[in-house]
Amino acid sequence: MTTESRHASADDPRVLLDEQVGVFEPVPPYPPRTEREAEFYTLRDGEMFINIGPHHPSTHGVLRVVMKIDGENVVDLDPVLGYLHRGVEKLCENADFHHTIAYMDPLEYIASLFCEWPAVMAYEKLLDVEVPRRAEYIRVLTGELNRISSHALAMGFHALDLGGLTPILYSFIERDEIVEMLASITGQRMLFNYFRIGGVNGDLNHDFMSRLGTWMSRATTQIEANTGLLNENEIFVRRNRGLGTIDSQTALRMCWTGPNLRATGIPFDIRRAHPYSVYPELDFDIPTRSEGDALARYLLRIDEIKQSLRIIDQCLHEMPDGPIMAKLPRLLRPRPGRAFAAVEGPRGEYAIYAVSDGTDQPFRFRIHDPSFLHLQSFNLLMEGRLIADWMAINASLDPIMGGVDK
Amino acid sequence: MTVVGRTWNRLTLPGKIVFTVVPVLVVLAVAAVVAIALVGETVLEILGANLPIVRFVVAATAILLMTIPTAFLIIYMEMKGIALMNLRIGPDRVGPFGSLLSVVHGLKVLMKEDFTPTGADPTIFTLAPVVVYLSAVMALLVIPFGPGLFGVDMNIALLYFFAIGGLTVVGLLMGGWASFNKYSLLGGLRSAAQIISYEIPLTLSVVGVLLLAGTMSLNQLVQNQAGWFTDWYIWQQPLGALIFFIAATAEANRTPFDLTEADSEIVAGFATEYSGMRFGFFFFAEYVNVFIVSALMVTLFFGGWNAPFPFPATSLALDPASLGIGLLILIAVVPVVATLVFAAPFWLLRPTWPAWYGLVIGFVLFNLVAVAAVAGWAYISFDWVAGLVWFLAKTYFFVFVFVWMRGTLPRVRIDQLMNFAWKWLMELAFINIFITAGAILVVEALRSGS
Repeated sequence: MTTESRHASADDPRVLLDEQVGVFEPVPPYPPRTEREAEFYTLRDGEMFINIGPHHPSTHGVLRVVMKIDGENVVDLDPVLGYLHRGVEKLCENADFHHTIAYMDPLEYIASLFCEWPAVMAYEKLLDVEVPRRAEYIRVLTGELNRISSHALAMGFHALDLGGLTPILYSFIERDEIVEMLASITGQRMLFNYFRIGGVNGDLNHDFMSRLGTWMSRATTQIEANTGLLNENEIFVRRNRGLGTIDSQTALRMCWTGPNLRATGIPFDIRRAHPYSVYPELDFDIPTRSEGDALARYLLRIDEIKQSLRIIDQCLHEMPDGPIMAKLPRLLRPRPGRAFAAVEGPRGEYAIYAVSDGTDQPFRFRIHDPSFLHLQSFNLLMEGRLIADWMAINASLDPIMGGVDK
Repeated sequence: MTVVGRTWNRLTLPGKIVFTVVPVLVVLAVAAVVAIALVGETVLEILGANLPIVRFVVAATAILLMTIPTAFLIIYMEMKGIALMNLRIGPDRVGPFGSLLSVVHGLKVLMKEDFTPTGADPTIFTLAPVVVYLSAVMALLVIPFGPGLFGVDMNIALLYFFAIGGLTVVGLLMGGWASFNKYSLLGGLRSAAQIISYEIPLTLSVVGVLLLAGTMSLNQLVQNQAGWFTDWYIWQQPLGALIFFIAATAEANRTPFDLTEADSEIVAGFATEYSGMRFGFFFFAEYVNVFIVSALMVTLFFGGWNAPFPFPATSLALDPASLGIGLLILIAVVPVVATLVFAAPFWLLRPTWPAWYGLVIGFVLFNLVAVAAVAGWAYISFDWVAGLVWFLAKTYFFVFVFVWMRGTLPRVRIDQLMNFAWKWLMELAFINIFITAGAILVVEALRSGS
């Protein structure tokens, strides 16, 4: 391809040398590969491209979206992915089964336990390990705590993307408490690396229990107070109601899961639909909403926080004594075969498909990430919307770019 | 190479400028003093003959200089106020309670690189902040800060205010267009749409006050509201005041109408490509605009520099010259005695402290009391001091309301913004005008009938 091509852009370093610098059109430096690409990168009268991201305040990481705008109206948009791509799946295929758990964490850097969980579950299926019940309870307890911290942060970032400065700081109070208590058993504040094949890395300790008790005593009122700033805010509600509406059938067709799917009215929750761990023994509801818009997604997360608090309460009451790790050899060589494990994360279904060939490394390793599948619906949600709506829709979908780019 | 040459080469660029400019200024100042001493009579005569011009120049300079500490103060208020609303501590390192942080910010933007992006139009890019800042300063010229404390007393002050306030949009559009950046362009377009739309309800909302007052001179408006706080126009024009406040928020580009610089959407909008002092001018102009709309709100609806109650009629006719030699004794004796009196409790109650601790504390306390006494005396004796105090107190209350809204509210969307201006605010402003005019007719008919 020559630099004189119509599609040569300033992203191409060769162009920077001998052509006018400073013109940064977000057009890819190669001829269009598909019909869709050719159509998207052709401007009609009065339209222009605007490049949102990869470093933009409200792209939740390094998502890049090329928008074709006509004034304030978004005519079309094209998400460009891969800025955080690390090749995790390939890395995991060349790593020991234990090592892969550490690679899982940064995929979901807001609630990293939920990416470790399906991996260890898949390996346990391969190895036919019985996980001790105390370990399962600890997994559920820490997982639900992590879900609350993730949902609290999603609420705050939703407000921040709409221009509200304060709610994000209130959310970080909750998150800070939770990561501190998780740090007291895992040693980390962010990428916990806590679950192990056959159990968890450490038992609950006094520091954790005292922090949890203090926090639980005020969690409900605190979360109510935080949401009061937004739920009764006319500007916030009006900007979100009816925004990014999707009906349940379309949502299913676009492979949505998690709170985003439940906000369209389908009570699909893997904790109930395909029960794992000790969730069948626990009593909790699956909140749903029928509107399917950004406000419903936001409100559903608040409802889920309340259910998570219920689960934590039950875990604390019913947690048995006993070991936290199953008896396993140091070097794991599972039987040849394949295993699939899915958990319900704060953003939807996290799943791992692992194939073993009898060695100590996974032969094939595939990650299913919900954020990626939510992002593919941008064009449906943004039909006839304004630039500012994209920020609200993106915040309401709550994607994590670590998992999207893998 | 000589010593002077070596020293000169070691200087940085600002140093070279300072060492060149300062001697020139000193020479010029000496020359001016000599010239005034030689032809002082003539100069004074010329100045005296052109008193209005001299007054205008002095007032304009004072207002230009006043904007800087005003902006510093409001920036500090915002940083600290929003920090407290966010349950943070906020600035607390530079100066008492971090109060000098905004000054440091000012110095920082002065020292930063002044960057012009490739593809930008350098002339317009440079002029835009100047236009924005000057329009803010020029609008401040007609605000009456106190009795006799105003830049110009125009009989069409209000019209002038709106005309100059509308100039801001030219500057923002220039900045947005010349930056050669799509975010900036969108910001400039948004500012044009927003400010021009909200100019209409803003102007219409004050028509009710104009009908009641029968004048456009801001001084006259303030004098009409003298007396008790029940005489303020807010009681007769609550709807007008509400519309004015909302539209003024949009005019000053403040949350929830800060679409022009929406940081989560178009990344600071028109200011994206600005750095250094050019950005500083935009930044300052925003806070000066907040002060201005608060000041106009106070002037129009909250009695301007009038106290909420009539001034106490006591005037402390203290003529220092009448004391004669007593004044000298007073100045010599009172500080010493007062310091000792204030120090005495510390000597008595803290015998372990060194004696000079008490003296220092006593001296500081005496100074505080003296300052308070002088301020109180000035408040009672000069009505412009009292007026300025009340004016600033009310204005900074509204500045605080702006800060409060910034800490609480998210941003509206551009279509909601436009709908609100054209479908709600404008209609309400018209209704307000008709109700006011009808009420005036009815009251006049009743008065003439009885």
